[in-house]
Amino acid sequence: MSSDTVPPIIAAHINYLLNHFPLPVKIEHMWSGSRHYPGIMDRFTLVMPYCLEFVKWDIMYNAESPFSAPDIVFGPEDENFHPFSSKVDEGEGDHNSLHNSLRDWNSKDPSRLTSLLQELRDRYVSYQRKRVEGVDDERLKFELCTMLSREGIEMHLSSGVEKPEEVKFAVPLVDININKMIPGCPWRHPQKIFLQVLYPVVRKYATTPSAPRLKLVSTSELKALLSIEDIKLPTWIDGMCMAEYLPHLEESLEKQVLEAVSLIDVRRGFIEALNSFFGRPLEADPVFCRTATVITASGVFTFLVHILISTQFPKKQPSLVLQSSQHFNSQGAPIKSQLITDYPWSPRWEPLQMAERIFEFLADEALSFKRYCNEAQLQC
Amino acid sequence: MEDDSLQKVAISGPILASLIQRFSSSSGAVDGLLFGHVSDVTPLSLSDDSSSSTDTQPSLRVATVTGFLCSGSTNSFYDSLGRVDSQSLNRLLDRHQSDGQAQAQPHDSLLGWFSGRRRTQLRPSMREYLVSSSLSSMKQLSFPVKDAVNPTNLIPSVFLLLTSPLSDQIIHTHEYRAFQFRSSNEFFEPKSIDIVNIGPAFRGHYGSFIPNSPFPHLLCEMRASPMNEDKNDDNLNMMKQNSKYQKQMNVCAEGFDVGNLTRLLGSEAANYTAGLEDLYEKMLAKTESLARLVEESSAQVLEQENHNRKLRYKVARYPGFE
Repeated sequence: MSSDTVPPIIAAHINYLLNHFPLPVKIEHMWSGSRHYPGIMDRFTLVMPYCLEFVKWDIMYNAESPFSAPDIVFGPEDENFHPFSSKVDEGEGDHNSLHNSLRDWNSKDPSRLTSLLQELRDRYVSYQRKRVEGVDDERLKFELCTMLSREGIEMHLSSGVEKPEEVKFAVPLVDININKMIPGCPWRHPQKIFLQVLYPVVRKYATTPSAPRLKLVSTSELKALLSIEDIKLPTWIDGMCMAEYLPHLEESLEKQVLEAVSLIDVRRGFIEALNSFFGRPLEADPVFCRTATVITASGVFTFLVHILISTQFPKKQPSLVLQSSQHFNSQGAPIKSQLITDYPWSPRWEPLQMAERIFEFLADEALSFKRYCNEAQLQC
Repeated sequence: MEDDSLQKVAISGPILASLIQRFSSSSGAVDGLLFGHVSDVTPLSLSDDSSSSTDTQPSLRVATVTGFLCSGSTNSFYDSLGRVDSQSLNRLLDRHQSDGQAQAQPHDSLLGWFSGRRRTQLRPSMREYLVSSSLSSMKQLSFPVKDAVNPTNLIPSVFLLLTSPLSDQIIHTHEYRAFQFRSSNEFFEPKSIDIVNIGPAFRGHYGSFIPNSPFPHLLCEMRASPMNEDKNDDNLNMMKQNSKYQKQMNVCAEGFDVGNLTRLLGSEAANYTAGLEDLYEKMLAKTESLARLVEESSAQVLEQENHNRKLRYKVARYPGFE
């Protein structure tokens, strides 16, 4: 996105949007609709997260009249999504106050696009909910009734021509503010864990409904704290419903989140222990304590050791990468070793002992790494 | 109201071409109104096979676009929420009437509207939906269907979308799609477009041909005859108007009364041809000077437009002043 060709009014709207929208939105593609000034970008595709997937909306400003409100083309699947049409508004009086971001559009207020899109997303949520509610499936109707008390559920009815109809739910789990539990938290958006539930739509008179497909999904930045793929879901028993399933899952997840947060301190203790053998680390991740880099030497051969600590530490030992500070390959990049994960380890050791054993291991490994470096350098 | 569905939209090649031309020569997105008529057409299928001709075929309801008015910009008759502003709409309709130099053509109703936007998806946008919805709720705009078995009224519901492709790699340069807005269930129904051209495939259209421009006034006697003197004021006004037009016309043919045509016969004819040639030459000269005037003024208009555009960009670049 080269912002020098975006008209300043539009650029101000976009910047505000990217910095203030409560969800991580992306601008995928920007282009121009002007005949005389093909370099002036006045339309773009916005990628907006919805129900653990994305919807893509084309926002069209008009470079010829940058003061007028933008228009939007929704995705090809959402042909029937018509926000602001009079029929939808009847009976939904609370929308009327929101109506205003388009009604008296003010191009000089950079927050207008953001509030417009927020409004549209809210309407999209209720539009999809209405679609799902319209599906003629007894079990779905039951699940909807029993789940609706939970806040923030998003749902989506996908109906391709080829694919069977499916209803997808994104159920936010664990109602705790993870961001607040981490000192010095760098995340801009609140991190959440969702359960993705996929129900195949079963029309009436069908055989016993099959179990829904379940999957845990987290916001991407949460990976630094907790790898969601490693969490095992409780099994789904035939005849179960979400209202029965969710409380157990939430309970165990909550425990795991708390544990993951406490593991940060364990990792910090280990990094601090490195100090006694390697000296002060050159670099360390101060928030999640997932990486540390130390410098060490064997004789005159000096090299860096990158220590990558997994979220499962101390159960899983850290991976090491050695990087020579004296050998370079033909591109001028320093020569690095493979990932080293196989060395003596016990999770029951004290942090000091862990650091000591790594130090001892490296004293031997340094010789073979030096040989490796010399060979690699000779080859080029 | 149940049966307000159109079978298809027909548009003549030249109208579509000039519509696309207006769109592609404009600097940005444009919108405008579509005019024409809706008629129930019995499909013409002449066949030698006598057995099939006994079947009665259902008539097709076709919207035929015979004219358009391009506003040259967007939001010309609606606001940013897509609500039609009846004042601006009436202003546009008046403009169309005066452009069409004809008084209230019976065949020419407001059919709907069009939107042209460069390099966008060929799908109606949020606002386009709202505009069509608002337009089709205006019952005062309804017009009768021609040749309908049961008298039916329709509201303007046609929407023509013109775009150019998003990608530069595609060889075609324009895309268009017609829709009918169904007010009963509030959605856009895609309609096929028939482009009426000359050729064997369009012979059927001769059967349903309707001249679109009105027959010109051919009042031979300008002075009202004493018999008609008592006619009402309307007629008088019209006559005054006509005599004004006639006077303007006469200026072009100064010194060459119709009566002179008698001189084309007989002995004077030889001299008179020279006189006629002279007349034509003068007329040509006048036409030429008129053309030059038009050219000059459109150059000025273009200059002004460019100037305006520059100003607009200047303003856009410095959002401080507006």
